[in-house]
Amino acid sequence: MPRFIERRNPPADGPAIFLLSVGLSLVAALLLGGVLFAIVGADPLDAFATLFGEAFGTWRGFGFSLVKAAPLALIALGTVVAWRSGFGYLGFEGCFVVGAAAATAIGLAAGPEGAIGPLPFALFLPLALLVTFVAAGVWSGLVGALRAFYGGNEVLISLMSNYVGLLFVQYLISGPMRAPGGLPQSDRLAPETWLPFILPGTRAHAGILVALVAAVLVWGLLRRTPYGYEMIVTGLNPAAARYAGIPVKRRILTAAFLAGGFGGLAGLVELYGVQHRLVDGMSGGVGFIGIVVALLARLDPLWVVPTAILYGGMTVGADAMQRATGTPSSITFILQGLIVLFVLMSEVLRRYRLRLDLIAGKPDPEVQRP
Amino acid sequence: MTFHLEMREIVKRFPGVLANDRVSLTVGHGEIHALLGENGAGKSTLMQILYGLYQRDSGEIRIDGEAVPLVDTTEAIGRGIGMIHQEFMLVRTLSVTENIVLGLAGGRLGGRLDLDAASARVRALSERHGLAIDPSALIEHLPIGVQQRVEILKLLYRDAHLMILDEPTAVLTPQEKDGLFAVLRALAAEGRSIIIVTHKLHEIMDLASRVTVMRDGRVTACVETAATSERELARLMVGRDVELKAIKTPQLRGPAVLSVDGLTAHDAAGLLRLSNVSLEVHAGEILGIAGVDGNGQPELAQALLGLCETDQGTIRLHGTDISGLTTAERRALGPAYIPADRRHVGSVPELSVADNAALGDQWRLTRIGGLVRDDRAIHGHATELVRRFGVRAAGLDFPAGKLSGGNLQKLILAREIMREPRALVVEQPTRGLDVGAIETVWAELIAQRAAGKAILLISAELEEILNLADRIAVMFEGRIVGIVSAVDANPETIGLMMAGREPVEVG
Amino acid sequence: MSLDHLLSSAFLVTWLAAAVRLTGPVLLAALGETFTERAGVLNVGIEGTILLGALAAYLVSHATGAPALGLAAALAAGLLSNLLLAFLYVIVRASQVVAGIVFNGLAVGIASFTYRIAMGEVASPEPVAMFRPLDFGGLGRLPVVGPILFSHTVLLYLTLALVAVASYVLFRTEFGLRLRAVGENPKAAEAAGISVAHTRYVATLISGAGAGLAGGYLMLSEVGLFRDTIVAGQGFIALAIVILGRWTPWKAMIAAFAFAAAQALQLSLQLFGTGVPTQLLLALPYLLTILAISGLLGGRAVQPASLMIPYEKS
Repeated sequence: MPRFIERRNPPADGPAIFLLSVGLSLVAALLLGGVLFAIVGADPLDAFATLFGEAFGTWRGFGFSLVKAAPLALIALGTVVAWRSGFGYLGFEGCFVVGAAAATAIGLAAGPEGAIGPLPFALFLPLALLVTFVAAGVWSGLVGALRAFYGGNEVLISLMSNYVGLLFVQYLISGPMRAPGGLPQSDRLAPETWLPFILPGTRAHAGILVALVAAVLVWGLLRRTPYGYEMIVTGLNPAAARYAGIPVKRRILTAAFLAGGFGGLAGLVELYGVQHRLVDGMSGGVGFIGIVVALLARLDPLWVVPTAILYGGMTVGADAMQRATGTPSSITFILQGLIVLFVLMSEVLRRYRLRLDLIAGKPDPEVQRP
Repeated sequence: MTFHLEMREIVKRFPGVLANDRVSLTVGHGEIHALLGENGAGKSTLMQILYGLYQRDSGEIRIDGEAVPLVDTTEAIGRGIGMIHQEFMLVRTLSVTENIVLGLAGGRLGGRLDLDAASARVRALSERHGLAIDPSALIEHLPIGVQQRVEILKLLYRDAHLMILDEPTAVLTPQEKDGLFAVLRALAAEGRSIIIVTHKLHEIMDLASRVTVMRDGRVTACVETAATSERELARLMVGRDVELKAIKTPQLRGPAVLSVDGLTAHDAAGLLRLSNVSLEVHAGEILGIAGVDGNGQPELAQALLGLCETDQGTIRLHGTDISGLTTAERRALGPAYIPADRRHVGSVPELSVADNAALGDQWRLTRIGGLVRDDRAIHGHATELVRRFGVRAAGLDFPAGKLSGGNLQKLILAREIMREPRALVVEQPTRGLDVGAIETVWAELIAQRAAGKAILLISAELEEILNLADRIAVMFEGRIVGIVSAVDANPETIGLMMAGREPVEVG
Repeated sequence: MSLDHLLSSAFLVTWLAAAVRLTGPVLLAALGETFTERAGVLNVGIEGTILLGALAAYLVSHATGAPALGLAAALAAGLLSNLLLAFLYVIVRASQVVAGIVFNGLAVGIASFTYRIAMGEVASPEPVAMFRPLDFGGLGRLPVVGPILFSHTVLLYLTLALVAVASYVLFRTEFGLRLRAVGENPKAAEAAGISVAHTRYVATLISGAGAGLAGGYLMLSEVGLFRDTIVAGQGFIALAIVILGRWTPWKAMIAAFAFAAAQALQLSLQLFGTGVPTQLLLALPYLLTILAISGLLGGRAVQPASLMIPYEKS
């Protein structure tokens, strides 16, 4: 290591440092984004104005931002529960589609022509939420069981389980749940089962409310209940948890179940709010973006929803920008990636400092002193 | 005469700490030199500077009279310096030979590895020094004592002339220790110089010819062992006359509280860890468990608390069989446990002092029928612990991991004692603590004994056992070799028992 | 379709030839990943690296008409992008999974942006110059073995040669020993005078080279056209292959073939329109991988002990 880089021991810490590092990351990412805009010949300021103006400055655009944010926030909440409990789950793509499939099944069954339908919406929605949560929770719970009882590595297993889930749902829509017609997709759900729109004049549906309620529940669980305390202790230090009499395996199973459940609800809100039928490729990477949202929110459930809206809004703005000015929306993906990347890198600033005096060639006073 | 090694006026600063303050050390050719000091005295830092792991801020190091920079380990190894860390630096999945040649060649992408030639040399070296090691064995299949010999072989293979051994006897049985000392003496006779880093006084007297004592980053003395005494060295190490003698009140022995009968357990690898262990701890009694580290003591503690699986045997608390209960249920009934590893088992370093004080009581410190954590009660509980046991913390919201070892231990001890347990299982309660903290912990244990608690004290420090215990059980390879009354015990008989020899006759 | 038909030699030949063809790119990426994982780094970022490699191969081959230059560009792209990943893994000591996932998202953005800038808005993109299948002086026209073994592009044969090279380097060289030691016990390696940081840097770059080349392979031997969805999880398949191959090159080759065979069978079956749920076939290799790491089969964990754990020099 060059002499002019010195390790901070202990690393700098505290809320001010955190805000500073996130702020610097944002500025750096936006500057780089500005350069990219300039490369494609767009005025960076105009571009940013369109990007954020559309997503947060117009009513309609804001509605879209909320639509994008709802599944992201739910997956991020699943991530928070899992990762805080030391369960490094990455299988949200699978949970999303498994949840969507369960939601489709219950939605079709509760529709006007369904086996148990028609159900009044006030009865249908809680039932659908429950069934979906349990279905996706059991899905991820299987990974949890492998980890808890057989010591399997949940990171790798859950990564692989995504494909099993995606293929399983692909099978469902090309076989048992396939609607008549050329495309592999399910029947369309009856409008009675759709999530209501919550902002007049926009596409914003009640999914964001589901996410908000879930965020409060997760916060309450982790911060306020002894059960959540046990999950956090399990995540930080399993040996100490066992020592304190905490049933570690069961807490991991719970974390796995809840994580998948929230991931499944993400599929539900996308299905009842946007797609209204089960199609292939519905998740489209949202299972990973949700994890990134959780990380940006520092695994804090209360920061998850605002972060998801910001993240979702940038996607909406990017599309609008591309439509309006032809500026490629991919710049926004780069921007989103850069923000997280810089936040990660700012860790280095917390751990090292530059010795400007040594760079300037001045002798080190500390070493000189006898 | 030139010394083999001369370290002069070495200074090393870490942010906020002066770890080495103008430290000097000389070692002659063929000398066995002891470096003595408490934890945190700066002896590890000094040795890591010598091995190139740290850079000194100032000072001079000469080897055979030549000043050397020692910028990294590669240079140190190149200059004939070798180090055996307390925690062995072996890769478990590789063979003995692979471990020995590791890092020797340049590591270029095409550089072929000639393991056959290396194996032959390893075998020859092993035979010449009487180490009896199979070069092709995988490390994970070798017992600890043999692994240590692999570490020695590693240094010989590199032809190290200056060998540093950090606390080499901590994991050895008395015989293995004797074997090690014989090997070291033979190596010294060949002209190699050896530095032993330790805090065990009697070993120094036995093995070393000179000893350098460190305290608070400074050298307090450098003396010939022939011209000093253990008592003198202890005073130099601690900085005052150490009369580490626990003042025990007369014993008021009550009925048996904790009874263990025929406890047997295997570990995950199928090795026998506990073999038919039976013992009783009475109210108002400290039963000491002596033994070399790794002879089943941690497993015994864990089995008592339900933290590891047992094959057979019963554990009774006041006559109630608790063998089938979970850890939480056992803790609710009575035995409290102070684990050896404060930072990885006894506490959650990332959480606050308050949250750590609540560990284990998370369901009690609640409101609304156990639904919600009661912040006020949690803080009140923590305040009480900190006050009654004099834990020095910057605040209750301060991360527990930032407490000093002594303060963290006090916090854990306070938490367990405040649960009003009927029995206490205490494992290595003073490991790594300075003398002041040791005195506090000892006093508290004696107070608990006086209060009628049944205490099972597991310690690898014979000194501690002899000072505190009323009766002493010695463990060897998972079984209890014998139980003797403290009155009849002396270091010699206990030492023999620690090597597995049955006591001749005991009360 | 009858069983007879399934077992007919025409079907078998088509299937196996496709399987061998599909083995190549994922195997190449898996070989590189084997090196990083042996050194204790789980490089999830190979998915994005493959994409960037494919893009570089496309652009350069498009501009020069020389696929070999395209392949060189893919290699360069892989190395360059993994310089960033290595920085995140080794210097920043970020969670490897997190860094990889974020990088993959970033790579999609960079790839589609660069493609747009370089190619403009073209309605129908043109395929680039690609490697041609060899036929080994007529061997490729032999019945059965010809199409299966002797009618692939040079890239496949290079990849197979690399399996032997990788195995040699990992198990027969000083460098390989260092790599394995770093992945099992970085502290011990450091104590032996090996720089963990340096070793992990090099290992990550090797995996970048493998993934970049895999992207070039995909582009210059299979696809010929760029879309930002062409990788479609092949990086993750490579991760599975490394696990299923128990972190050894030869077994990785078998695992890669198993994945490819399942995929090829699925394609063929789709072509013939059977009622067999092809998804089950595709899911089988994943299920097998899960089983391999589940712990259900017992035995000790075989993964490198320090995998996914950032190393901090004390």
